[in-house]
Amino acid sequence: MAFAWKASGLTYNKYLSVAARVVRRSLKDDKRLAAERRGEMELRFAKWTNGKQGDMKSVADANAAAAVESASSS
Amino acid sequence: MLSRAARPALRAGAVSSARPVAPNAATFATLREIEDRLKSIRNIEKITNTMKIVASTKLTRAQRAMTESRKYGQTSNTVFENAETKAMEGEDKKTLIVVASSDKGLCGGIHSGLSKCVRRMLANDPKADLVILGEKCKAQLGRSNGKNIVLNFAGVGKDIPTFSDAQAVADQISMLPTDYGSIKIVYNKFINATAYEATPIEAFSEEAIANSPNFSAFEIDDEVLANLREYALSNSLFWALAEGHACEQSARRNAMDNASKNAGDMITKYQILFNRTRQAVITGELVEIITGAAASEE
Repeated sequence: MAFAWKASGLTYNKYLSVAARVVRRSLKDDKRLAAERRGEMELRFAKWTNGKQGDMKSVADANAAAAVESASSS
Repeated sequence: MLSRAARPALRAGAVSSARPVAPNAATFATLREIEDRLKSIRNIEKITNTMKIVASTKLTRAQRAMTESRKYGQTSNTVFENAETKAMEGEDKKTLIVVASSDKGLCGGIHSGLSKCVRRMLANDPKADLVILGEKCKAQLGRSNGKNIVLNFAGVGKDIPTFSDAQAVADQISMLPTDYGSIKIVYNKFINATAYEATPIEAFSEEAIANSPNFSAFEIDDEVLANLREYALSNSLFWALAEGHACEQSARRNAMDNASKNAGDMITKYQILFNRTRQAVITGELVEIITGAAASEE
């Protein structure tokens, strides 16, 4: 069983969040505003090597970059 | 009688005020000092009180989010319970510890409780890697166990954690180069409004799920297994984040409640001290006036 989204480099979680976003956007305006707040994500992260903290990066950007990378490699 | 007696003394006092009034000035200064401190303590009380009210309104929302998120975690755990999944033991597989704290302080010992629990776990398993959500535990564990940290996330705990938060974190964790035998998520378990406890929950690796004794009860293809693992990880993370958030709010409410009470105690103490000092200054002045009057009558 091969999934189209897997071939394009998405993880299952990414696939779910895209699907959830589509559902939220198709709601009526009043409900949509409340629902879209539940989809917000503003995390930043940093990689640590040898006890030193690296640069802070936005998680959303990094996830998107990783998706592109795994899509081109597979 | 006093007023008549006091008048010449007043004149005498006016003359004497030309001389330096060092001892008198000192008592007035302390009165002023006490007044200033009283004022600042009152301001602090106002601030802590407001923070308490904000925390208690946030707490009800956080608690609601927590009970909802518990369903996510427990439902996804039912699968593993029925399959009798167990964590991979021993071997050379590494363990990953995910610490669910937050960015904000001023809420008692909630973050240091987590840090202590993680340090205990690290003492048993010094090779384990750490992923830290939130700045507070990063600061604490970064000092003592900086070498174990592989990732840290900031921006956690501003508001009620969303499922997208958990998903993004789970994605980053599954992208880590090392293949972990088991993932433990350490979070503050909400017992009641005043008690919480740092507890680990397990998120299993693919092998652990595939090796579980009752695995055949479910029809799971190998390809779907990876999806299940990712999804289960983000479910558990969401649960841990939401419950940790509720604990933090209730801890903050309690901390601010105590702070307001302490400020109230200090206010009454300083109020009494202030009144006494003022009384002492007045009495001192009266004594001076009377002795002055008595001296000038002779």
